[in-house]
Parts: sequence; C-alpha cells; structure tokens
Amino acid sequence: MQSLPNYLQSQRKRLSFSQEEVAFLLGIRGMHKGNKVCRDENFAREPSLQEALAYEVIYGRPVRELFAGRYEQAEEEVKARAKILSFRKVRKPDVRRQEAIIQLAAKASVNPPIV
Amino acid sequence: MIKNKTVRILAIAPLSRGLGYAVMEGPDKLLAAGNKAILRHKNAGALAWVEKFIRFYQPGVLVLPDVNAADTHRAQRIKTLHRQLLGWAKQRQLKVKLISATQQRERLLGNPKGTKHAMAKSLAEKFPVELGKRLPPKRRPWMSEDPRMDIFDAVGLAMTFWPPVR
Repeated sequence: MQSLPNYLQSQRKRLSFSQEEVAFLLGIRGMHKGNKVCRDENFAREPSLQEALAYEVIYGRPVRELFAGRYEQAEEEVKARAKILSFRKVRKPDVRRQEAIIQLAAKASVNPPIV
Repeated sequence: MIKNKTVRILAIAPLSRGLGYAVMEGPDKLLAAGNKAILRHKNAGALAWVEKFIRFYQPGVLVLPDVNAADTHRAQRIKTLHRQLLGWAKQRQLKVKLISATQQRERLLGNPKGTKHAMAKSLAEKFPVELGKRLPPKRRPWMSEDPRMDIFDAVGLAMTFWPPVR
C-alpha cells in the first residue's frame, strides 16, 4: 500500500484543532490563514522545511510519519541513486564508503516507514 | 482472505439522510470518519461524495453493507444507490467487500442479536479520541435515530473487514 502524501488532516482532527488554529501555531499571518493549512492537507501545497518541523512540534509526530508518502518517495529515489553510486568506479576504494552505499541501497527495502 | 494487512479501505454506509464514511489503514488506525447529509438529489450527491473520497484517500478496497442479505431491509433508493456504487467501483477496477448486518454484529459484539448502540459503544471505546465525543445517547422508542449513528455504521463496516485478532 502506498501511503498518502501526508496525514496532516487526520492528525489535526485527532487533536480537535481548527485549520485557523493550526495556521496561527505555524505563524502564518493574514486574513485567510487557514487556507494554507487546508491546501497542505489536500496535497495542493508543500509546506516549507520550517513549517514541516512546526507540524512535528504541533502534532507530536515525526516528519517522516506526517509526510509518509513523501518520505517513501524520497526513500525510493535515494535507493535507486545509491545503486547507481555503487557501480561508479573510484580511484581509491574506501571500505567505509562502500559499506555505507550498500547499506543505503538495502535500507530502503528493509526499513519501511512507521505510520 | 487479506494478504496485505496494511491495505487502505473506505467504508461507506448509505443511509436515508446521506452517507457515513470511514477510512482505515489496519484494524487500529482510523484515518477519518464522518457523515455527510445530502438534501437534494441524494443518489447523485452521494456518488459525487464517494468519488471525492476515493480520489483523496485512494483506497484499495471499498467496503459496503450487503443490502440484499436476508437480515437487511433497505429502501428502494438505497438499493439503487448500492447498485450504482457497485457498478461504479467495477468500472474503476476497485475491489468491493460486502458485509451483512449479522456479520458486523458477530464480529464486533460476538452476538448476532446485539443492538446498534452496543456496537457504537464498543467502537467508541476502541477509538476514544476519534469517536468518544461523537457517541449519541441511547435511542428511546419515541426518538428517531441520531444522525451521528451514520459514522458508527461506517466504522463498524470498516472494522468488520479486518480479520479478528487471535
């Protein structure tokens, strides 16, 4: 099963917050500040790193859990790039580097995100 | 038999006022639950809402009540809506699971003759954060059913989908 891009809406409802209240906690200003939270929840907008971390603080869940779909996507992409990197020839072979790349390529399939 | 225990499911309970819905990712994770009152063109409105839910949550399985089961009586309009939903799901190659009222009661209460309120109460105890405040008072004989029961109907359907934990 593919995770949803984010689980912001279910987390907000768990705490009974309104979108306007979450926007205030995020530090968004303006007349219709709840709209930005609405767009985040409907996958129409991607929050900045600062806002993503603020979501983690508000909901008490790690970013990788709140944005599970995006995390899985990033994980797959890194895994694919790590495989390419493992085939790249280097002048001075380094055991630590090689181990790190192998672990990275294998990690994505072994360690699924906790949601 | 469910091979993938982490499938996302959407349970829809079409009722006279509109519909109840529940989205779950596993037996312990209730993502969303609620009810939608539809005033005019109920079947068309309900189909539009279901389409919206499916586009948003992208479920793997659509769970519906079995309106043609021996233990169930539904209005002709609900049966028509049910047929439309089945046809619509088939068009989009979405898996459908039908659950009868008896199956639901046996799974949630262990008793095929349990009441809806008992079922709702057990669900509210299982999901206190999501459903605790939404549990309506017990219906008395002179009262009509509380609209909030739609939510519990849908969550009950969704819960029955998962195999019991042994």
